[in-house]
Amino acid sequence: MSRIVDIPAQFDDRGFEQFVSGIGAWPPEERLFFDARGVQWSTPSSLLSLLTAGQSIHESKGEKPLLAIPVSDDVRSYWSRLRFFEHAAELFELHGKLPRPHKGARHSDTLLEITPVRASEDVHDVVGGIQDGAQRILTGELGLEAKATMGFAMALSESCQNIVEHAGTAGWVAVQCYNYRRRLGRRLAVIAVSDAGVGFRRSLEATQAKRFGDRWRDGTALEAALIQGVSRFRDPGRGQGFGGIKRYLQRWNGKISVRSGTARLAIVPAWDDDVPLVENLCFFPGSQLQVTIPSQETAAE
Amino acid sequence: MIETINVARVLREAIATPYRILVTRATGALVRDRIELKLSQSGCQAAVLDFRDVDLLDLSCADEVVAKLLRSGKAGFVAIAGLHEELREQVHEVLEPQKLAVTIVHDDAAPELVGAVSDDARAVFVVLQECCCADDEIARRLGWPADRATAALEALMAQRLACRDDDGYTLIPFA
Repeated sequence: MSRIVDIPAQFDDRGFEQFVSGIGAWPPEERLFFDARGVQWSTPSSLLSLLTAGQSIHESKGEKPLLAIPVSDDVRSYWSRLRFFEHAAELFELHGKLPRPHKGARHSDTLLEITPVRASEDVHDVVGGIQDGAQRILTGELGLEAKATMGFAMALSESCQNIVEHAGTAGWVAVQCYNYRRRLGRRLAVIAVSDAGVGFRRSLEATQAKRFGDRWRDGTALEAALIQGVSRFRDPGRGQGFGGIKRYLQRWNGKISVRSGTARLAIVPAWDDDVPLVENLCFFPGSQLQVTIPSQETAAE
Repeated sequence: MIETINVARVLREAIATPYRILVTRATGALVRDRIELKLSQSGCQAAVLDFRDVDLLDLSCADEVVAKLLRSGKAGFVAIAGLHEELREQVHEVLEPQKLAVTIVHDDAAPELVGAVSDDARAVFVVLQECCCADDEIARRLGWPADRATAALEALMAQRLACRDDDGYTLIPFA
């Protein structure tokens, strides 16, 4: 017997939380059947999270979950372009009409298809491979100055390194440019990173839990890492990655959000209406990070 | 003797990558190890790290290559050359919170300092670009009390941004 977990039609940040609450306790005891047939719209982050769910179940020796793929041709095509199905085939028993593997040129909106990050070499390939595309999207489509490209690559590198340095397992990254649904016509570049690892609380527990005492939980662990720049390593040069990303985002009016365990922390610019800290969410394994750079006209609003 | 090290070449020797990017701690540690090896083999007490052919440097790698090299003291005196403006910011952001600093040398301009350097130390650094001076001479040139000049000089010395010889305080002739 398997239990059905609906994937919402709008599979974005909010849809992701509905998806997680549908899973319930972690790791799931029964075999899960992820039903994505009704998905109409999805973000790179939500697709990475779906892979992360499959990866985590696999790593906890759970039974391979089933995944019913979207009915919509557009959505299937989009997932195919991002190479979702190539990775999902290893983690899910796929059901439904699979599109032919996308073999054409990379879509102009896609800077980096879903790519596994396991080791330092992967970060090299990811960052090295996006340089020309990043320049085209950031300056051409978002209207940013050319010098924004180098900081974008730095933010991507530091985001991916969180997996290599802290997760204790592999993760995924994707980079894409798309329209912001809540403000139609506005373009964004998004770095999405997700892993099925130990999460921020467990990563920092040995060095930070005592300092926080009873307040130690997923939310405080995120605050320690993202706001205070705390690292589990005592080396004085550690913990600067998030600082560098934040300075870059401050300059270009960008946003960062990190979800780990049962909490989600965001540094929210004026153009967005997200909540800075949400706690007591349903548990989801590992960490999910999203860096968003808006077009210049959005940032100016 | 001053050893000039082409960092992009060291990167190519350290890892097989088609990209001229210095990213990740693991890569930075490999590059730093090779730099330290080159310096120990050459016996040079001063090194110029030439970043001319490096397209990208992230904070983690900047920490591993530059900050840890400075902290280890294995290089004696260190300067950086050929750094793009954006990469210069990365180096500053890594060094500043660790109270470290390094000399940046330019082909067509006077050297400058990045990292944690006080205004007084910067002023003295500019004076030392013109001549080798004793502390009282520096105090006179800047119109400062002698102890202020001495404190700034000691700060530069402690960060290995200047040195002292028989004629007084001086900068390492990196350029």
